[in-house]
Amino acid sequence: MATDTSFSRRLARREFRSSKDARLSVGSSVMKIISSTSVESLLTAEEDFLEYLSFLSTVALNALLRAGAVDPGNVKLLQHFNESFHGLWELISASYKTLKQSHEQNLALDTDELYLLQQAPGFVHIFKEYFESVTDFMVVKGFDRAAKQASSYWKSNKKVLRQMIKDTSDGPVHVLLQRVFIDPFRNHVQHYTLFLSNLTEDSEAEPLSDVLNTFVELQRHISQILDEASQTKILWSQISNKLTLALCHPERRLQEDSRNVPVAVANGRYERVLLFNDMLVFLQGHESKSFDLKTVWVDSTVKQKSEPNNYLLRIITPEDEVVLCAKEPQCQGLWLWKINQLIRQVLNGSRDYPLWGKAGEVTNPPTCRFSTYTFRNEGRFKEATYEGDMSWGKPHGKGTLKWADGRNHVGDFKFGQEDGFGICLIPNSSQDRYDCYKCHWRSGSMEGYGICEYADESVYKGYFKDNMRHGFGILECGAPDTNPFKYTGNWDRDKRSGYGVWESKNKGERYIGMWLNNNRHGPAIILTDSGACYQGIFNSNKMVGTGILLSEDSTMYEGEFTEDRLMAGKGKLTFSNGFTLVGTFNRNASLGLHTQGVLNTTSAHEDETTKRKFQLGAELFPVEERWNGIFEPFLKFLESGCQGETEEFFLGFHVKSSKKLQKSQEYLYCERDKDEVSGKIEDIIKEISVFQKQEDLQLYLEKAFKSSHHPFKKLLKILLLVYQATYSGVGANLHLLSMAQEEIKYYGKKLLEFCRALLATAGERNGHRNCILDEDEEMSDTWAYTLILPLILPRFHPDLFMLYMLYHEQEDGFYWQGIIRLGHLTDTKLLEFLDVQKQLWPLKDVKLTTNQRYSIVRHKCFHSATECLQKIITTVDPKEKLEIILKTYSEIERTVSRVVDKDYKLPMDDLLPLLIYVVSRAGIQHLGAEINFIRDLMDPSNRGGIYDFLLTALESCYEHIQKEEIRHYTC
Amino acid sequence: MAIRELKVCLLGDTGVGKSSIVSRFVQDHFDHNISPTIGASFMTKTVPSGNELHKFLIWDTAGQERFHSLAPMYYRGSAAAVIVYDITKQDTFHTLKKWVKELKEHGPENIVMAIAGNKCDLSDTREVTMKDAREYAESIGAIVVETSAKNAINVEELFQGISRRIPPLDPHENGSNGAMKLGRQSFQSTTRCC
Ligand SMILES: Nc1nc2c(ncn2[C@@H]2O[C@H](COP(=O)(O)OP(=O)(O)O)[C@@H](O)[C@H]2O)c(=O)[nH]1
Ligand SMILES: [Mg+2]
Repeated sequence: MATDTSFSRRLARREFRSSKDARLSVGSSVMKIISSTSVESLLTAEEDFLEYLSFLSTVALNALLRAGAVDPGNVKLLQHFNESFHGLWELISASYKTLKQSHEQNLALDTDELYLLQQAPGFVHIFKEYFESVTDFMVVKGFDRAAKQASSYWKSNKKVLRQMIKDTSDGPVHVLLQRVFIDPFRNHVQHYTLFLSNLTEDSEAEPLSDVLNTFVELQRHISQILDEASQTKILWSQISNKLTLALCHPERRLQEDSRNVPVAVANGRYERVLLFNDMLVFLQGHESKSFDLKTVWVDSTVKQKSEPNNYLLRIITPEDEVVLCAKEPQCQGLWLWKINQLIRQVLNGSRDYPLWGKAGEVTNPPTCRFSTYTFRNEGRFKEATYEGDMSWGKPHGKGTLKWADGRNHVGDFKFGQEDGFGICLIPNSSQDRYDCYKCHWRSGSMEGYGICEYADESVYKGYFKDNMRHGFGILECGAPDTNPFKYTGNWDRDKRSGYGVWESKNKGERYIGMWLNNNRHGPAIILTDSGACYQGIFNSNKMVGTGILLSEDSTMYEGEFTEDRLMAGKGKLTFSNGFTLVGTFNRNASLGLHTQGVLNTTSAHEDETTKRKFQLGAELFPVEERWNGIFEPFLKFLESGCQGETEEFFLGFHVKSSKKLQKSQEYLYCERDKDEVSGKIEDIIKEISVFQKQEDLQLYLEKAFKSSHHPFKKLLKILLLVYQATYSGVGANLHLLSMAQEEIKYYGKKLLEFCRALLATAGERNGHRNCILDEDEEMSDTWAYTLILPLILPRFHPDLFMLYMLYHEQEDGFYWQGIIRLGHLTDTKLLEFLDVQKQLWPLKDVKLTTNQRYSIVRHKCFHSATECLQKIITTVDPKEKLEIILKTYSEIERTVSRVVDKDYKLPMDDLLPLLIYVVSRAGIQHLGAEINFIRDLMDPSNRGGIYDFLLTALESCYEHIQKEEIRHYTC
Repeated sequence: MAIRELKVCLLGDTGVGKSSIVSRFVQDHFDHNISPTIGASFMTKTVPSGNELHKFLIWDTAGQERFHSLAPMYYRGSAAAVIVYDITKQDTFHTLKKWVKELKEHGPENIVMAIAGNKCDLSDTREVTMKDAREYAESIGAIVVETSAKNAINVEELFQGISRRIPPLDPHENGSNGAMKLGRQSFQSTTRCC
């Protein structure tokens, strides 16, 4: 027999070795060195165990595997069992081999050379796994079934099994089978522990006692594993088949039972509570309700007023809440501790079998954890799966929610709802397309700034509320098969409502005006690409009542229209030459327009001009109401004391959505432009709170309007968008000048208001008022012109100036004719023509140039003044332009004083001709547009003053040059 | 004390002494309230008037006949106009009447008109009688004084007369007659007549 032979062999070896040991131990003086006696005892133990494993494998394991092959339910379990058995076998073999090697070379071993010590974690792991796989098999009655299935085989080998564990009692086969796979393994671990504790006694080495502890721990874990397994197995045989079927799972272990440590479920909802390693189960009759521990939170702070002697535990899960009551505080404590420890282990993904009572050594599970949960209850989230941060049963933090219909929300959650920034994909009826919302959410619905890219390729950028477009927003639809359009304006509960601009891209038509319920409704202006403009009143998309039509040939019709904007009915036609026709107009398809009325050929010039330059819209759309949807969220944010949260909410997610991205951007900005100022509201407040003077603020604003992260710059960008949506392209129409310039001035006022509010907030935080911008209330507007407009005008100037040029096109044309005429004159001829007093002629300058190849007669007099005036087009700031005019004046006076050789104060009689001279020589194009631009946008407090005077003088020169006598002058 | 800015424009034939009157008014008495001026064409002077300070912003105009059509640009927005004639030249009084007529038709509403019969030091060669001037002024509701820029006669009085005609500031409705409080201006639309 195999056992017998091995036994004799073992005896022989033992004798042989003990003689050697005696010699060695004499020489060993270092404590760390493991005596070869010990090595040998371990070697023997390993050898014996290996032999046992091999025998067990042949006798029992292979038979189990054979039996298992016909029991499909257990195949996987057995496979795992087999694997862990072999894993253990290999480990022992390796341990044996290394021991044998050193033993044969007669080497004493250092502690760290011992395989058992080197690989201690491996030993612990493999043994644990082995016991776990054995017990997995055991709890599902694997041994019981195997014993039944191959009963004849086991009957014949029953004796062998009994011998293997040296058992004398006559237990049933399945018990024996279980024991041969458990007892010797337990003993072997115990052997290791003994061996290590002997070593530790000899040596004080720290690592040794650590290793010993892990093995002691392992032993304890093994007992716990086995305990849990047998408890669980008992449970499965106690409860009804139906429940067992529903609950039994190889890896599931009973951890606590309300029959063992009593707790009751409040309101008697359930009669029994079972705590497993992975879930919490409530039983009622044959029914069970289980909760995955990963999504269970326990709150022990609840008290019941009516029953102060009940100790409560509130079990919170995503969709349910159960209250457990214990009569004893210890019971409550135990359940609380156990549930929490199991949650912690289940979250870590490994069991560590903590000891009850060692509360200080183990931590509770985090309240905020990454979990996955599929909602079942009726409601918005039904059948949606959430994956992400959860807290107290609710999505809270970052997460992803996926609905069964393909809807998908990724983003921030708070207290169970979408809150903060999120990206939501909603599948559209066309299968592979989605509506994509990148938006801010509040308590589960879209609110604040967002971008939506719809499946039909239209894009909305703007504000939302209650999941609907609400407030200011731009909807652009570019799909070529439909009518591409762009709407820039106000929304009310998903519908176009209030002031807005609609551009039909195919028709080249723009509607500027009021909306209601997605319809054109109220006063409006329509601009067409042929240059015609309409002003009228709309009702449900149709033009009603009387209106105005301005055609490009400067004909103006005031009267009745058809719904489709055709002249029809009573009206008055004013032709560009001032003739008027009052009568009844008709249009029919075959005859075109025909009319009956009175033609008046006595035209008043003034009347004609006011019609030709008729200004649309200014009274219809009060500037304060046009873009409230842009200013309001900004103001709310400022009024709320500039809380960071609201900042993101109104400006979009560029502020802080992606921290990583932002960092890299910040880095880039540092590289790119050192002048950037921070856009974070905290920094802004900090920065402006130290300002002492107006210049500080001015410098800061200069930078702010250039810093892409700054709220002001963002606001400016939006304003530029709406401005261009209205006034560029087909909107570049002289009839809109009034509206346009008024609007820009209003932007300036609003921005100033925001500056003030920021300063006030900064002041509040500092505890002292900042007085930079507070002065006389009457001065309030001045700052808008002196501080804000110069900074923002450059962005609007091209489009705005275009309107001025169109408005003054005719006058600028006449002026230019005059300039060309006067340009033909030599300097002296021109001075003479303008009747400049001879004594003021700067002939000294002319003489100076006689030797030069330049013509002596032209462009030499008042050269410095002329050059100075020409600089007027190098800036867009009205204030700077005015300074240039003032300087031009001083240059003229300087030249004259030089000529007459004394301080000469120019009276108007002298100044005007000289200024005309300089203007004609400077030859500035579109001077009329320039002058009126300056006049409209300069600080109004200049009116009547020195700058106004000079601007008027310049304007009168401009007027004068347009005169017939100059345009058609021939020398 | 509130400062009110009053735009005043000077009208009248060349040579009647417009510039001289302003020079006399502004420069005769040293006053730290005098602002920098544009030669002799634009000058300012601040004088007390009741509870207020009146800052006169005085705009000269070119007297040449061919620039006459440019005048409206200068007198628009004026609180007052000083129209000057030379008592020794009848035709300057005639021109004055033309200015008054124009102002009535095209000038700002409620503009205060002040007629100055200048060069009263030369009364030997007088061609316009004081009576004629006074009667005319009364008929149009204007102030009238005979002045001498040369001898500093009645120049201050001329402007004091204007000050008195400016209605005191009504907090609810200011600037209605072209007088403006510092930094405020009555509405001006872009649709201007050219
Ligand atoms: N005698 C006299 N001469 C004056 C008076 N005021 C101005 N002048 C002279 O009249 C001429 C024209 O004056 P000026 O102020 O240039 O008149 P303006 O063309 O109306 O501005 C100058 O020679 C002055 O010296 C005055 O009150 N008396
Ligand atoms: Mg003069």
